[in-house]
Amino acid sequence: MISLSDFNHDHSRGSIAVSVQDLGLTYTTSIDKKPTLKARLKSLGRGKKHTRTVQALNGVSLDVHYGTVLGIIGSNGAGKSSLMRVISGIVPPTQGRVEVYGSVSTLLALGVGFNPSMTGRENVYLGGLAAGMSRAEIDEKFEAIAAFSELGESIDAPMRTYSSGMYARLAFSVAAVVEPDILIVDEALSTGDAKFKEKSLNRMKELRTADRALILVSHALATIEDLCNEVIWLNKGQLMARGKPADVIAEYQKFMNVGKSASSDEDV
Amino acid sequence: MSQPQAIYAPFKAGLPPMKSYLRSLWHRRAFISEFARSELREQNYGSVFGQLWLVLNPLLLSGVYFLLIYVIGGTSDATRFGHLTATLFLFYLIANSLTGGVKAITSGQRLILNTSFPRIMLPLSAVVVAIFRFLPTLAVALAIHAILGLPYSWQMLWAIPILAIAILMGLGMAILISCINVYFRDISSMLPYLTRSLLYLSPILYEAQKISSTIKQYEIVNPIFYLLDSWSRVIVHAEAPSGKGILHALIYALVIFIVGTYFFLSRERDFAVRL
Repeated sequence: MISLSDFNHDHSRGSIAVSVQDLGLTYTTSIDKKPTLKARLKSLGRGKKHTRTVQALNGVSLDVHYGTVLGIIGSNGAGKSSLMRVISGIVPPTQGRVEVYGSVSTLLALGVGFNPSMTGRENVYLGGLAAGMSRAEIDEKFEAIAAFSELGESIDAPMRTYSSGMYARLAFSVAAVVEPDILIVDEALSTGDAKFKEKSLNRMKELRTADRALILVSHALATIEDLCNEVIWLNKGQLMARGKPADVIAEYQKFMNVGKSASSDEDV
Repeated sequence: MSQPQAIYAPFKAGLPPMKSYLRSLWHRRAFISEFARSELREQNYGSVFGQLWLVLNPLLLSGVYFLLIYVIGGTSDATRFGHLTATLFLFYLIANSLTGGVKAITSGQRLILNTSFPRIMLPLSAVVVAIFRFLPTLAVALAIHAILGLPYSWQMLWAIPILAIAILMGLGMAILISCINVYFRDISSMLPYLTRSLLYLSPILYEAQKISSTIKQYEIVNPIFYLLDSWSRVIVHAEAPSGKGILHALIYALVIFIVGTYFFLSRERDFAVRL
């Protein structure tokens, strides 16, 4: 398990950040066809369970190099989030291997670790500590986080009183100050109003440096094309294409039979 | 090429690399206390007395037993009242560790699915909450001790190692039950009956020496029987605990902690797909 304390910036552009080899992930979920007491009593002791196997990832291999911003696209259920979770070490794969050469920070959901009963200020600490920062690091960056969130005096109000936009703004602000070697972001940019979306997009652009690798999952194809220098397309757990953003996105759109116009006004 | 900092391969039951695990746990120690503090705040959020409930709870509980022993029972047995409150408060340290621990993993789903961190931090936080809740009760117990005029001696310092054993026991139980609950959710519904049975089977409502020797021989299977008995001897009677009692409690605490931690650590990488 790696943490941000291992953070170091001695990675040169082009050196390998993440190596994914023949990755497979299979979930087994138990399902009750009829979730009634009678059905449960009938199945008790028979050891017979209704299970469904989901092949979330199948034989995916790819390398991510430092200096790369890799975009991952695909329809719902394509395995994008599963791939992110395996690379982050959250879910173990069922086949293959992932090697990670650096400290990883994940931004898979906003406000992880937040407690609505606490104030915005307290949640900055809670969320920052949950993300692996130390108290001293948060002390140092607190002003920047508060300023980025544009919450003003509301930072000292309980988060229960926040609107969903305010909540998301604070959550993104906490996540945006973390500076790991490898940053994995899953759909986290679709927050707040148009102005804040632009601000968060600019922050992502700032994070694009030669000694960092970014992996970005999004349905917003325009954003992917704007931010990334390489894109992969996943479909039903399999790697369909990999290459320049414009080419892969065009191929994906052709496959999905959607026009360019559908992506142009998507959320950032 | 440099060595990878992390390798993720198919899950096999077994301990993770302990050096990096413990380093990561130490690095995130501030999160444990902050998370525990937020949990405590959440429990009393919106109530008029807020965090004052941490002191009010043990006061009211001792008030109820005062009613039972002095008013309804019609006795003025100070030792019995002192014993009951002191042991009950230590029992709640264990019981709160269990009730906090049982849902530590299942209710931490959002954290577990989105962040990579040593999962053992969650039951650890539950025990820190139980300790935060216990500390004010210790002050109340000592105040009752003074008011009742119960004896004092240097032997009372035995309370420190006994408390350490109790915390280790609570920690082991919280870790074990949080892991069991991932695979067998019914345990959380059974828990209130388990803790209630433990309450009656332990020397709380009665003193250990008052029960018959026939029953007492079975008490060896109760992990907290001699722990509470030792606590009562030390805190209430200001006597040294029996060596056998301390050894019984220590062995149980160590076994539960080691078995619970091994079970937890060897399974924790599998939790994310079970939630």
